[in-house]
Amino acid sequence: MTAIAPRRGPTMHLYVVVWIGLILIVGLEVFLTYERLPAGTLLACLLALALIEAALGVMYFMHLKYERPALFWSLIPYLLFALVLMDHFWPDALRLMRQRMPGP
Amino acid sequence: MEGSPYGIPSRKLGMWLFITADAATFGAILFAYGYLRLANPDWTHPFAFSPTIVNGIVMTVVLLTSSLTMVAAVATAQLGRTSAGVRWLGVTMLLGIVFAALHLREWFAMIGAGWRLFQNPMGGSPLFGATFFGITGLHLLHVVCGVIVIGVITLGFRRGRFDAGHVETTALYWHFVDLVWMFVFPLVYLMNVR
Repeated sequence: MTAIAPRRGPTMHLYVVVWIGLILIVGLEVFLTYERLPAGTLLACLLALALIEAALGVMYFMHLKYERPALFWSLIPYLLFALVLMDHFWPDALRLMRQRMPGP
Repeated sequence: MEGSPYGIPSRKLGMWLFITADAATFGAILFAYGYLRLANPDWTHPFAFSPTIVNGIVMTVVLLTSSLTMVAAVATAQLGRTSAGVRWLGVTMLLGIVFAALHLREWFAMIGAGWRLFQNPMGGSPLFGATFFGITGLHLLHVVCGVIVIGVITLGFRRGRFDAGHVETTALYWHFVDLVWMFVFPLVYLMNVR
């Protein structure tokens, strides 16, 4: 079997910086929650911050930034595409529920 | 034999494929929760800052810290420092157990207040309990499985049966469990504060 050489990852110092960044983002989420923003605005802000946290975690803690780009391009766009499709299909299910014919 | 097109061992690629599939599962559940919430105008907002949100913040910090200890375990394992790697894996397991204990304490408090899968003691939509216990329960199941797997890998790594690659593959799963919580905490807890 062909040996696979380990790739260089981030330093422990960078991991700690990412960890502090993630905790600060959690603090920001709690702060925004108690700013009494409209529900839609709050949802958009919380989702955007959660996506930033996920990107930091995947890229640094899970080392995707340090793997071959082929791995990123084989996994992430398709996952995002599947999630976007779900976002389109679920409201369609609600529309179909309203269109259901009444029972006999 | 031809090398891996991604430059990673097959077990690591397998874990990435599992994580992608599991992310789609959690995505589907969270989207369903979002639309159920929008479709129910009488959705309940039961969570007070103390104790629920404070407990959620502590749980989040515990889980994030466990990811940091896990990367320390991987780094020391890759350097061949077995005893240090085992120690960091032990700390990660401990933090996972603390997270699960805090989570169960919160669940029991809610059950004591009358919350059930299809019962809402505050009189709003009964779907709140189903979505809350369903989503957090699935995440808690992942945490418990992760703690067990880390325990097995730690024993094997200490005895020389497993190598740093096994620790790294386990770490991928643990970080994923952490990332899912980054969506569960804001969507299920913060969006339902009083």
